Amino acid sequence: MDSEDDMMDANDVESGDDDYYSGEMEHDCYSDDGDYGEDDADYDYIADNLEEADDIVSRLQQQYYTVLKEEDIFQLQEDDILNVSAVLSISRVAATILLCYYNWSVGKVSDEWFANEEVVRKTVGLLNERVVQISNVREVICGICFESLPVDSITSAACGHPFCKECWSGYINTAINDGPGCLLLRCPDPPCQAAVGQDMINELASVEDKEKYDRYLLRSYVENNKKTKWCPAPGCENAVHFTAGGGSLDVSCLCSYSFCWNCTEEAHRPVDCGTVAKWILKNSAESENMNWILANSKPCPKCKRPIEKNHGCMHMTCTPPCKFEFCWLCLGGWSDHGERTGGFYACNRYEAAKQEGAYDEAERRREMAKNSLERYTHYYERWATNQSSRQKALSDLHQMQTVNLEKLSNIHCTPETQLKFITDAWLQIIECRRVLKWTYAYGYYLPEHEPAKRQFFEYVQGEAESGLERLHQCAEKELQQFLIAEGPSKEFHEFRTKLAGLTSVTKNYFENLVKALENGLADVDSRGACSQTTTSSKEPVASKGKNSKCKGGTSKN
Amino acid sequence: MQASRARLFKEYKEVQREKSADPDIQLVCDDSNIFKWTALIKGPSETPYEGGVFQLAFSVPEQYPLQPPQVRFLTKIFHPNVHFKTGEICLDILKNAWSPAWTLQSVCRAIIALMAHPEPDSPLNCDSGNLLRSGDVRGYQSMARMYTRLAASPKKG
Repeated sequence: MDSEDDMMDANDVESGDDDYYSGEMEHDCYSDDGDYGEDDADYDYIADNLEEADDIVSRLQQQYYTVLKEEDIFQLQEDDILNVSAVLSISRVAATILLCYYNWSVGKVSDEWFANEEVVRKTVGLLNERVVQISNVREVICGICFESLPVDSITSAACGHPFCKECWSGYINTAINDGPGCLLLRCPDPPCQAAVGQDMINELASVEDKEKYDRYLLRSYVENNKKTKWCPAPGCENAVHFTAGGGSLDVSCLCSYSFCWNCTEEAHRPVDCGTVAKWILKNSAESENMNWILANSKPCPKCKRPIEKNHGCMHMTCTPPCKFEFCWLCLGGWSDHGERTGGFYACNRYEAAKQEGAYDEAERRREMAKNSLERYTHYYERWATNQSSRQKALSDLHQMQTVNLEKLSNIHCTPETQLKFITDAWLQIIECRRVLKWTYAYGYYLPEHEPAKRQFFEYVQGEAESGLERLHQCAEKELQQFLIAEGPSKEFHEFRTKLAGLTSVTKNYFENLVKALENGLADVDSRGACSQTTTSSKEPVASKGKNSKCKGGTSKN
Repeated sequence: MQASRARLFKEYKEVQREKSADPDIQLVCDDSNIFKWTALIKGPSETPYEGGVFQLAFSVPEQYPLQPPQVRFLTKIFHPNVHFKTGEICLDILKNAWSPAWTLQSVCRAIIALMAHPEPDSPLNCDSGNLLRSGDVRGYQSMARMYTRLAASPKKG
């Protein structure tokens, strides 16, 4: 049996396996090794089914978006311009102006044009004939510098208003330095609306200005086009063209950065954009600092600066310049305190007032703030840990691809193409870390009043986490021994089977997890329980579309 | 610098040549600095500014005429688009709608037009803007007229 068959087995078996992460998984997965994947026909059949399965939409990303490199953007832009130019029988320059004006929507341009060409020509500034005629004179007065100049140093837009080339350059330079508005430049004559197109820019602007103009033109194609966005990764110059509203909004740039098409934050399935925005705001906002200050400090009764009391007695002295001495408990001046109020470690005034209920509100607020801060910290820490874990995995993958794969290939006499299962495992780890990270933001915002959901969520999240740990462990630690091995071994073959199996099991689990969370854990409501049974009930999704080999998955609940 | 100076000099000569061309505008270049100008404009008729003479100060940038001149009222005026204290003017052609084909003379004409047609929706003088926006045209007019009399009328005697 060759390696591809092994991969297929691993892929397929787990889809028919009811109780993933049951602990017996490995046994279940590989006991019926010889059953399928032996011949090519079977392989194709399974592959076809996999294609159709809706839970692998993420693999078919190319269907709903395309990553555009700079040359692709140029090409698309060029295509649109030529298209409009041909359909409307107008010049390239005029087509560009029209497209700029109508935000690069080819459909809108032709709709408007054919609805009323005259109006469009007027609003956009594409004049049919000159407004001003210059005939049979040797010298003309420039409308900007007011010099009388020879006709050959004068030029004008379609309207014919005469300006000298030097003044034109200055005018164009000012417009280009003012920003992308230069793409819709008009004749300098105040009431005249004649458009100044790229042909005039090329003729009259400096090299530097021309470059800027071209840049603005390219940017306008991406930025003014509703279906295109720049990849937000720092330093990345690609854009993403989004075609149809498929299920997922997550897109992956060629630079390997994944982001959400809708909010352009990093990819955050299964959490929705609103929650992500709240979470990011929360992470960056001062609000948590304020909570901490509120929970752990009291303001100096005199100068109002927050003071944290970390040890010592109740006799506080504020730092200079204030130097006010007060009692920490009742916040009264220390001059009123002493032995008679209970000494340095108590305050009778405070106790008495507290019994009358005077401190309740403030105390309660402090207590609540403390709890909410701790809760947030709990989720934030785990969110951040998975984030850094993912970063580490990214660099491990890089190390793997640049150094270790070649090493492994040599030691185990296996072509690198057959070591793809290792790369796949790492890619899966990276993706899972991302999902897991966002489940913590999800958990933080999960409503308090739905304990069943919370319990269920924590259960599946825990399972996901331990499953991922298993995979991570295998890819990271168990691989090490093969890197220092003397030569090919049978164990390496077993390792391959195990890692590939773990990869696809984990993939499956996480895909189901994402779906369940995106679904708002709706299953919990309908079943009103959060036991092990509910977990298994999620599994039919795993077997969906994966042919008859899944046994009893759907009927289990 | 040279271009702006040459252009201003042409405007100067034009002003000298056609002194009586527009009786409502009197543009004067500073004796020692061609980048500083003042203008006296007559309040347009059938407005509360009628009968008043308003002084404007021009400060022309070196990038002129590619960049617009800075203009403000030296005479106190009650107008929604003129700052009551500084005399600063809110007028699109002095900002983003500037065209190098405009001249100081045409800026004056635009300001006279603004005096006749205030834009209460982008006020620099909120009191004046609010009067017009709340429909109290009489209130606005009497305030404007009072200031025209107090500040913009030629002193008698």
